[in-house]
Amino acid sequence: MDGLDLLKKDWKKREGNIPQLSYDEIYKMLLKRSSSIVKWIFVISILEFLFWALITIFWADHEYWAEMERIHLKEFTVVTYVINYGITFFFIYCFYKNYRRISSTDSVAKLIKNILRTRKTVKYYIGYILISTALITLIYTYFFMNYHATNTVVEDVEKYSFTPLQWLMFAGIMLGGLAVFLGIIWLFYRVIYGILLRRLNKNYKELKKLEV
Amino acid sequence: MDKELEHQFVKNLEKHQNIAHKICRIYTNDQDSHNDLFQEITIQLWKAYPKFRGEAKFSTWMYRVALNTAITLYRKKKRSIKTQDFDTVDFKIKAEEYDDETEQQLKVMYSAIQELNDIEKALVFLYLEDKNYRDISETLGITEVNARVKMNRVKTKLKNILNP
Repeated sequence: MDGLDLLKKDWKKREGNIPQLSYDEIYKMLLKRSSSIVKWIFVISILEFLFWALITIFWADHEYWAEMERIHLKEFTVVTYVINYGITFFFIYCFYKNYRRISSTDSVAKLIKNILRTRKTVKYYIGYILISTALITLIYTYFFMNYHATNTVVEDVEKYSFTPLQWLMFAGIMLGGLAVFLGIIWLFYRVIYGILLRRLNKNYKELKKLEV
Repeated sequence: MDKELEHQFVKNLEKHQNIAHKICRIYTNDQDSHNDLFQEITIQLWKAYPKFRGEAKFSTWMYRVALNTAITLYRKKKRSIKTQDFDTVDFKIKAEEYDDETEQQLKVMYSAIQELNDIEKALVFLYLEDKNYRDISETLGITEVNARVKMNRVKTKLKNILNP
């Protein structure tokens, strides 16, 4: 007998041996929480948003605003915040829409495609965070130094000014620090979303192979 | 209203729970993972149930949602046990029903299936469940021709494992 036919026969035979769950046992399962991939992507994006929002609130106390006022960056900071929150809310809305769009009644191919679309949104979001963080840090550094250079009165200018080499070192350290910081953020996202999406990507490639 | 829906759903699932158990059998290899996947399937079915409303048979609909959960939505946890001992799982083969050689063949077949990828497992599962190629292609979102070609490849693969 052919191997698969034998298997089919055995498969049918075992149908009777399957342990059965009771009505109550199944009912209890409805109350448990889902651990599905899509749900976690959505939850993580919300947590992330809260994390950054809390950091800003914690950071931006009265003193901070006073300092911003002093170096004439208050307006700029407020505008950056507004734009930043606007864009972040837009992304959360996208995540939510993706989450709603994903329906377990679609075909496997369509379902995976929708989940991978969520992944693309995640990628854009990470890209946005990295670029905006870099830009804002650079702009602030520039303004801060500019302010100090023009408004700090020192008696012995020679003592406080940088030689070209020192400038170069300073810029190098600044950029290096920024790169390390951005690298950590990037790694963090790679790890979290990578874990969630690795197997899915594999299955998608498998389905893609079928289409060729 | 909600209570009524809940009751209806649990009744349906209780009646057709074999489908989910069989999918868990194909996709997991220990009892803990089996229970995990079964639970996730139940939750996904319940989440999708308001959209169901009897446009198809409950069982047909359930095949699709349950398989989708196993292939895409379920977060597989890494378990330390990679190979499995059939006697410890409910794969248990009743020795008296088959001769030794057949029993050996079946053991090899079942472990061969465990080596397949998620999509191939789905194909084998639907084949074992006597689904036709139209059902298979609709569930996976590929064409019927592709389903047929892929199924034949999987069959050959399994045959080769069995008769090297």
